[in-house]
Amino acid sequence: MNSSFLMSQAHALFSADGLAGLIFLIMVAVMLIGGLMACTSERLVRCVAGLVVCFVGVAGIYFYLNSPFVATMQMLIYVGAVSVTISFAIMLAAPEQSKKIGPSGPLSGPLGFLTAGLIFGGLAVLGCRTVWPVKPKINSGTMEDIGAQLLQNYSMVFELVSVVLLIAILGAIILARGGRNT
Amino acid sequence: MLFLPELTLLGAGLIIFLVSLGKPDSGTVKNITIGLGAATLIAALMSFDQQGDLFFKSYRVDLFSQVFKILIAGAMLAVLIFGRKLTSIKKEIHPEYYLFLFSGVLGLMMLVSSVELLAIFVSLELSSFAVYIMVPMRDDSGKINFQMEAGAKYLLFGVMATGFMLFGMSYMYGLTGSTHLDVIVKGLSTMYNQPAAVVAIMMVLAGFFYKLAIFPFHFWVPDVYEGAANETTAFIASVPKLAAVALLIRLISMVSAEGHTIVNLLKVCSVLSMFYGNLSALVQKDLKRMLGFSGIAHAGFVLLGLLTFQTTGYANALYYIAGYAVMNLACFLVICTVAKDGENVLIEDLSGLHKRSPILALTLAIGLFALAGIPPFVGFMGKFYILVGALKQDYIYLVTLAAINTAIAIYYYLSVVRVTFCSNPENQDVVKTGMLTNATSIVLLIIIVAMGVEPQKFVDFAQMTIQSIM
Repeated sequence: MNSSFLMSQAHALFSADGLAGLIFLIMVAVMLIGGLMACTSERLVRCVAGLVVCFVGVAGIYFYLNSPFVATMQMLIYVGAVSVTISFAIMLAAPEQSKKIGPSGPLSGPLGFLTAGLIFGGLAVLGCRTVWPVKPKINSGTMEDIGAQLLQNYSMVFELVSVVLLIAILGAIILARGGRNT
Repeated sequence: MLFLPELTLLGAGLIIFLVSLGKPDSGTVKNITIGLGAATLIAALMSFDQQGDLFFKSYRVDLFSQVFKILIAGAMLAVLIFGRKLTSIKKEIHPEYYLFLFSGVLGLMMLVSSVELLAIFVSLELSSFAVYIMVPMRDDSGKINFQMEAGAKYLLFGVMATGFMLFGMSYMYGLTGSTHLDVIVKGLSTMYNQPAAVVAIMMVLAGFFYKLAIFPFHFWVPDVYEGAANETTAFIASVPKLAAVALLIRLISMVSAEGHTIVNLLKVCSVLSMFYGNLSALVQKDLKRMLGFSGIAHAGFVLLGLLTFQTTGYANALYYIAGYAVMNLACFLVICTVAKDGENVLIEDLSGLHKRSPILALTLAIGLFALAGIPPFVGFMGKFYILVGALKQDYIYLVTLAAINTAIAIYYYLSVVRVTFCSNPENQDVVKTGMLTNATSIVLLIIIVAMGVEPQKFVDFAQMTIQSIM
């Protein structure tokens, strides 16, 4: 590599695209670190912390991909609500710390890595090789656009989601408390 | 009118919710739910000839969807009637159990009418959520808690399959720029040999393979069938499978027989399902587990019908799954009635059933004969039509393997019949059956025989149904 190439690379890094790319890579790194923390930690609380880090990375990717609304929601719902709920569950259930949840067999770790690697590699190659058709932009992904879509084109889905949530809440109550009268 | 069956179900859910506010005795609850189930069936029959689009074209009511809605409503009513005692669920939560059952059926009915990816996904989730909750609701008085294990397994595998399906849907959207099935089918039919399209289609199919329990997505079957209450298992084993086949028919029309990769993959899934299901069923002692494994094998047969990529093949698959639901319901009717306290039924528990309850023994015998594929019942004609369809497509190896599987299946089905009729009962308890149960079993038997004796009429009707969406 000669010096002019490096110079041009460094120059490209400080252009708008280069900086955006750098932010993208940082977000991916945050996600990966969070994911590793969540998978490898032995304490459940640390796993949750890793999950939160990973969610922040995902929110960053959404922001990078021009969806500020989805990014905000990711922060509010996943980083905020979901992780707090999981923490509550851990606190209430108070699992024994001494009990290690290790791999169930000598092969399960390597096999897991192999499967994950194959799926990752396959999807990565697939993503790079495919010619993705570029479609005209439908809208700019703002809150107004999404709200309008949800209440027009996807109104049925919007209503149906509330039924799904109702069922989930009722189910949680039934399973946890065994009914209304107990 | 277009939306009548779904509205009836929603209303039914509301009524049951109101019922759950008070302290009703279980007799009232049971009468109300059977009434609501009948109302749903009537609503589905009334809106039979409706056609039209709803909700900005994301919901289509056509002959295809209405036929499936009637099948689903009928199967639900049967489960409600013969499972009305609901002995293995705590009395206090009977109304809630029915609330979940009705909302699950609502999800399934909306699923067969959805023609848009988001609508498909959310209705599928609604139906899955309800069943996820119904599985661990079984009460075994805190003995072994295997219903919790079953519930957790069902949930985890389900979430995994859903994840794959969503990923596939995102690919479909990326490739075609639309979430409407019409546009997607048109777009993908020109690129069925592109790897991304193949992966997308396979991933979306995976979500429904899970519901239908086809080979690589079958792991939940034995534990869930064993761990869930008998009535819940009867529901899981029949009703969601109908909707899964409906969606598979809608989706698989994206593939044509020229997409070799997908066709070969589906062939492998089909054959492995049959062998895995039948060989595992051979060694089962628990009747529900056995029926679960046999269900995997039957799903393989349905896939074999879909694999022909012809209207006739789809029609055969429809005929087969409708027949399968009826035969399966007949067997589960016996299980639910024989298990007085909601315990699991071992095959040897059925010994001498012909003396203890002749009508149940007859129902079980005919149900199993039909599942085994012995004429003149619907199981035989279903297999026959599917094999003929596959033979016309020159799938000679598949047909041979399927025929071998039929032979394996006969052994384990008939050994149950042998226990029922030819062994001396250890306990001479007479199994009491109510009038409603008797009536249901007779209706089911009549359907099994009628569909087997006059198959051409049913297959022609199925073909007309399929043509309405092609």
